[in-house]
Amino acid sequence: MPDPMAAISAAITMAGTGFATAWAEKVVGGATVGAMAEKPELFGRGLILMVLPETIVVFGLVIALQLLGKVA
Amino acid sequence: MSRAVLVGPREKLSSVIEALYELKLIHILDHRGEDETFHVGKPLPPAAVLSEDLLKLRSIANILAVKAATKEAEEVRTDQLREKILSLELNITEEDEARKKAQTLIADLDRRIEELRPFAALGLPLEDYRGYETIAPLVGRIARELSEADLGDLPAEVFEGPGTVAVFTTKANVDRVLTILGRFGFAQLEVPPGKGSPKDLLEAAVADREKWQKRLDEIQGRLDKLREKYAAFVVAAEEALEIEVDKAEAPLRFAVSDHTFVVDGWVPHPRVRDLRARLESEGIFVESEGSHGGHEEADPPVLLRNPKPAKPFEFLIHLYSTPSYHELDPTIFLFIAAPFFFGFMIGDAGYGALFIVMGIVASLKLKRTSIWWKIFFVTGVGGLWALLLGLFVFGEAFGMPFHPAPGHLTELSWQTFGIQVPVEAVIHKAFGISDMIYLSILFAALHLGAGYLFGFANEIGHNKKHALAKLGWFSCLFGLFSLLTYSLRWNRIAQWVWDIPLAWFPRAIETNLSGFVGVAIPLASLILIFGALLALTESVIAPIEIAGLLANVMSYTRLAGLGIGKAAIAAAFNTIILEGLVNSGQVVYLILGIVFLILSQLLVFLLGWISAGIQALRLNYVEAFIKFFKGNGTPFRPFGDRTTQEV
Repeated sequence: MPDPMAAISAAITMAGTGFATAWAEKVVGGATVGAMAEKPELFGRGLILMVLPETIVVFGLVIALQLLGKVA
Repeated sequence: MSRAVLVGPREKLSSVIEALYELKLIHILDHRGEDETFHVGKPLPPAAVLSEDLLKLRSIANILAVKAATKEAEEVRTDQLREKILSLELNITEEDEARKKAQTLIADLDRRIEELRPFAALGLPLEDYRGYETIAPLVGRIARELSEADLGDLPAEVFEGPGTVAVFTTKANVDRVLTILGRFGFAQLEVPPGKGSPKDLLEAAVADREKWQKRLDEIQGRLDKLREKYAAFVVAAEEALEIEVDKAEAPLRFAVSDHTFVVDGWVPHPRVRDLRARLESEGIFVESEGSHGGHEEADPPVLLRNPKPAKPFEFLIHLYSTPSYHELDPTIFLFIAAPFFFGFMIGDAGYGALFIVMGIVASLKLKRTSIWWKIFFVTGVGGLWALLLGLFVFGEAFGMPFHPAPGHLTELSWQTFGIQVPVEAVIHKAFGISDMIYLSILFAALHLGAGYLFGFANEIGHNKKHALAKLGWFSCLFGLFSLLTYSLRWNRIAQWVWDIPLAWFPRAIETNLSGFVGVAIPLASLILIFGALLALTESVIAPIEIAGLLANVMSYTRLAGLGIGKAAIAAAFNTIILEGLVNSGQVVYLILGIVFLILSQLLVFLLGWISAGIQALRLNYVEAFIKFFKGNGTPFRPFGDRTTQEV
């Protein structure tokens, strides 16, 4: 059983990074869909740009796992 | 691809176009630029007439609202097309004009009715609102009821109807009256033109409208009949005409001199002989030459060639970007990885079998060229993996394990219902979270590693420095993987990987860093991670991307996350419904329970399909493809091919 404070910290990390990612993807995603309407062949590049901010939540996940000490 | 140049006398132009259209072999490069001898060709003589017919036909199709043929397309003879189109046009334009006229009239009448309605409620004849010198009539809609007392001592007379009001006041007082009316939510209306009782006028307008509506319905009915009769013809004729126009306009892409024409283009190398045999018999000179490894001024177009089962996956590559002529076709890479990831995330024998059945039914029912055929085929292949993994690894069907996990004997399982499945689960999803996460990391290493090797193969004949950088990244990835495996050794799979496949790996441990990072690091992993410095050959800031690579690896944990999440949702539904309703012993609850069970399974199935499908593709598109795939090629579109490439 992990330390309760560590568990809360992990939760805050996930919530914060998740929100940050969502916000960033919203901005990029909107622009990407707009660009794709004009040029459908931009799908590949648009997708990559759109999911770049996911790095934030992935790092959040790493930190959260570290906080919990152990993945279980 | 081979570059082919065809040269022939001008009088052979139309027969060559016919032959090329039929062969569907040459991707024509449009001739640009003029010189003294060669200029851009002129369309064949029938082009103008054909284009005009096509335009007429499209307008007919538009009026009739024809989308696709309802039954089998009709055979059409191009020489009789024009006559038929002209007579059809005559018929239809007449009806269309009548329809437009009726529609305009109805719209006018609607406006008139809308205008008259409030005045009809007031009851005053229309001429009463006009022709005063000192009195101003204010008419409009009003939100609350108004009486003359509300206007205080202002000289005014008020007429009211439901929701409407007419106030007659002196012109001098208009502003003050309007201010008071404003408080009652007054919105002024124009007095409609005309004389007499607005009620009578309104009734006349409504009757008129009904009459015209009836006439419009009649016209619409006649047009519907025409559509039924001619839809098949219109669709077939449109296609036939499009083909004819394509052929007639083809010379616009050729170089033409006074007596000869030249067609320049790309032909798939093994088919050059077919092209030559067919055209040389017609007296056309064909010159061809293999591609010089792509060192031409423009890259040759790309035709993907894959074994049959991987072919339907090509559309997923084109969706991302057509590969360039110089790189490996990533279809096989995607064909192996994407369905496997899909299957791993679904990881359920029941859903897997359903996906396979769906794939088989769809491939029998749908047309091979349709995008849905391809989508169902791709999911079917994913379903195969899901079935295999669900049976032999996760031991689960429809979200329920075959046997309860050791130590959790009360868990609902197929065994609870007396169904014995003679396979033991290797990983119980709900209790093997760390196994799932480690497996995800393992797949990440394999997938990305393969991506770097593809990248190396792509770059080696092209740019040695970039190829070296790919190797550097490969070593960095392996360093990260060995480090993660070492630090996750408490997990049984990681332990096994560390002990057996990585038995050769140097065991020296760097301890000085452990206080800093929080984990002990094998020395060899550390050295390998610094392999990323080889990427300095690419760019000075490239090694910063080590963190990005770690993020890529961690990104694969979505495989575990979705796999467990989907299983957990299904298990929750199953437990609640089976224990609460189906096993309650009452018939009503039993029936209700079965209905809910089917609905909830359907929900999990569809959600799983969408989310696992998207994530499996995304891991390929984003994490793996950027390691080696540049794309930006031109798809091979032979002259005469009429399938659209858009997805």
